Amino acid sequence: MRRTIWRSIAAASALSALVGVLDAARRPRYGGELRVEMRATLKTLDPAEFPEDPAALAAQRLWQPAVFETLVRLDDHGQPQPWLATSWTHDLARKSWIFTPRKDVKFQDGSSWSPAGGAISFPDDRPIDQILRELAGARNAITMRAADGTLLGTGPYRIAKWDAGKPATLVANDQYWGGRPYLDSITIQMGRSLADQANDFQVNKADVVEIALRDLRSAKQRGTVTSETPPMETLALLFENGRVPPNVRAALALSIDRAAIHNVLLQRQGEISGALLPRWLSGYAFLFPAERDVAKAKQLASAAAALSFAYDRDDPMLRPIGERIALNALEAGITLRAGNGTADVRLVRLPITAGDPWLALLDLASLLKRAPPATTADAYEAEKAMLDASGAIPLFQLPQGWTLRSRVHNWPRFEDIWLDPGAAP
Amino acid sequence: MTFRTKLLFISSFTVAGAVALVTGAVSISTRRALERIDTTRREALLSQFRAELDAQSAEIARRMDLAARSPGVQQIAAGEAEYDRAESEAAAASLDFLDVIQPDLTIISSAHWPARFGYKNDWQISPDDWHSSDVFLTRIPTQDGSAPALVSVRPVAGGKALVVGGRKLSPEVLKSLGIAPGMRALLWVPPGEVIDAQGRGNDPHKLDTLVQQVRARNAPATGVVQWTADRASAEGFAAFPIMRAGGLAGVLLAGTSLQEQMALERSILWTGVVVAGSGIVIGFLLGWWTTERITKPVERLAEGARAVAGGDLDTRVDVISLDEIGELARAFNRMTEQLLEQRERAIQAERVAAWRELARRLAHELKNPLFPLQITIENLQRARGSADFDEVFDESTSTLLAELGNLKTIIGRFSDFAKMPTPQFETVDVNDVVRSVMKLYDARFQANGRPKIEPVLELAGNGARVSADPEQLRRAFGNLVLNAMDAMPEGGTLRVRTAPHGSGVRIEISDSGQGLTEEECARLFTPYYTTTQHGTGLGLAIVQSVVSDHQGKISVVSRPGQGATFVIDLPGGRA
Repeated sequence: MRRTIWRSIAAASALSALVGVLDAARRPRYGGELRVEMRATLKTLDPAEFPEDPAALAAQRLWQPAVFETLVRLDDHGQPQPWLATSWTHDLARKSWIFTPRKDVKFQDGSSWSPAGGAISFPDDRPIDQILRELAGARNAITMRAADGTLLGTGPYRIAKWDAGKPATLVANDQYWGGRPYLDSITIQMGRSLADQANDFQVNKADVVEIALRDLRSAKQRGTVTSETPPMETLALLFENGRVPPNVRAALALSIDRAAIHNVLLQRQGEISGALLPRWLSGYAFLFPAERDVAKAKQLASAAAALSFAYDRDDPMLRPIGERIALNALEAGITLRAGNGTADVRLVRLPITAGDPWLALLDLASLLKRAPPATTADAYEAEKAMLDASGAIPLFQLPQGWTLRSRVHNWPRFEDIWLDPGAAP
Repeated sequence: MTFRTKLLFISSFTVAGAVALVTGAVSISTRRALERIDTTRREALLSQFRAELDAQSAEIARRMDLAARSPGVQQIAAGEAEYDRAESEAAAASLDFLDVIQPDLTIISSAHWPARFGYKNDWQISPDDWHSSDVFLTRIPTQDGSAPALVSVRPVAGGKALVVGGRKLSPEVLKSLGIAPGMRALLWVPPGEVIDAQGRGNDPHKLDTLVQQVRARNAPATGVVQWTADRASAEGFAAFPIMRAGGLAGVLLAGTSLQEQMALERSILWTGVVVAGSGIVIGFLLGWWTTERITKPVERLAEGARAVAGGDLDTRVDVISLDEIGELARAFNRMTEQLLEQRERAIQAERVAAWRELARRLAHELKNPLFPLQITIENLQRARGSADFDEVFDESTSTLLAELGNLKTIIGRFSDFAKMPTPQFETVDVNDVVRSVMKLYDARFQANGRPKIEPVLELAGNGARVSADPEQLRRAFGNLVLNAMDAMPEGGTLRVRTAPHGSGVRIEISDSGQGLTEEECARLFTPYYTTTQHGTGLGLAIVQSVVSDHQGKISVVSRPGQGATFVIDLPGGRA
């Protein structure tokens, strides 16, 4: 009996010790360098700059919050939450909104962020929800230009090195108002192909690398740690010049076998869509048609001239999709001839840069070189107008996927990322 | 064209023609020799190509056997691999094309066109090809159109799927052939692609005619293709059909650049032209030298002949050659010497004959008065001492004086002929001279006791002025009028006509007498020749002398019984 009690006590102690070890393993640790690689090449993180390259824009929107912050942020549900502004209220005349700045916020050079008058005022000319979503946009981040010209933010990391064509380095901002981030630094290798990233990951030269969507499922099956976002980019056909008549554009849209591409080439990753914004963001994506109708496409495209067709041939996802689209179009009587430079038709990735439809459309309008959507219109009308004006053919909304080393935690929330030194490499 | 020019042309063109013949013969024989070499090379090329095709087919068949048994292809056939798995399988088997397809020809995975999954494999080949393990030449659809390929088919997973694969028929196949310099091999594959190992990029449609000939007969054909406007781009082709299962799978074209051949022919042609040109020059010079040696003596002979014809019998041709021309020249010289001797003998004979005629005429003229003189003197001698001596004396002296007068007249005529004066030229109207002469003899035309002669004048209307001595003309015309009167003892018509003749005047004096024989006409102007019993034969000689002194010409036209016409042509103005 005693033996049994002792055995029970020993077992309980062992279990307690094991739980303690496991608990210690999950506890964030300070220090370490996170090595990240990506395909895009981003020249600057300056929020005032707007990269025309969709991949660079996506990268900018991903990395900006690590250095620059806004008054409010949108949470995972797209709702505005206080960030550098802790609260907001009407003034007495109810003509302005007064935002109260967070205390103890410092720029990355140690200088305090203190808005004039101790508060920030915005005219009450729009609904407050719209004002908040606008303020959550990256372009409205709080920045300061230092004496040496360096652009400073209030984020958890500061830019230590960011030269075009070279690895960029972010180091921890010790005076971050939310507390020093766990990581000492983040090194970002830009312009790396997916194959190079995979190789670097294999030889432990990178902690976080991008992964092709078609490989995501097999990576998971192999037990590789992966991370993926909700659909954050839209695959679409753009018409770069006015040479393609509307009937041929419509025929091309009807000729594409999205289902086959989704099932085979994308391995069912992402969503088939005829909309620019994904369903999770807008909720109305199903209203945009995406069905295939080859017979109607043939009617519309009768005697259509050959079109030049371009896409990034080094992109392992775009290339097979582009080839399949050309094959589908050929079936409908439209010849797409592969070319470089300016083309009649181009297959592109359009990033979804914000958790708010209006903000995302704003960036898409810039990318598509269209006028920004009217603030009075709802998102559906704005998107429909943008599609009608540009003639773009959305095809799929795709998530972004990463392969992570197992020691990396909380990717991609930069202020919370930490590295587990005990984890297997 | 002179004889020398003819000789020059003949010699020059003979040389040029000979060179042209030689050049043409060399060109033709060279071209035929090159064609024979080309034929040999092309046949060797065809043999090499067939051997290479067989080798490649065997290699493809071996690799297809490996691919069909590979686990990867088995997985694709079972639907357990990704859509582009065929790419890695094709790479592993070193194949350019690899399709794994379902029995209904739906593509499961395509190595060379991954995007075609789910589409039907719609090759334009016969159904038998799907169940044959032979390697065959066909076209594989690709993203860039289609490409010629050697392919083969194998069943996979117990016939649940088929794998179709092969290699692109690349220019390397042609490059591997041992092609002689200046040659190249092209491969035409349906529907109209031309594979060129050297990648010259010529317009393949220019081969269409040749290929159509092969397709129509399934037999080799030859032809020449000129790629550009430049003739040097011409290329001779021999096209050989590549057959498969009774159909035409392709055409091998063995081309030979005609550039070198044309350059050689051009070189021969230019050499011929240069040689011909040089030959013409040399021939011309040689001909010149030769004709100089040949024609110079001939020209001298011709000049000598012309001189002899002009009366210069002293002419000699200076030719020293020993050939036929020299012999001709020597014969010519002998001929002129003989002519000279004969002329001198003739002159001497004529001179003797003239003297004899003169002597005969003198004897005849003098004999007539001498006989009365002798009779008269003998009468005087007999009458001496007789009573009627005085009467006889008077008659005899009268007779003697009359006969002496006749002698004096005869001597005077001969003296006049001997003393023909030099003409004193002045502008004379021949019509006036004619009128004055006719007026002088008008009385005698109408004299009683004589048959009447009717004078008829037909004178030129605008006058007939010449430069002449009017007295001598009057004397000449008078002699001709007297001569006409003598020719008409029984009367008749005397017709005198003047008319312009060239720049001078023609005078015709015609009688209606009994006319002259040809012999008489020929001798009429010989001195002392007369057809009348009492004539001296000096009248017409004087006329001829006068006309000759006036640089004129006199002739007579007559037939027996039809009268005679003397025609005098006097030249115009005297310088």
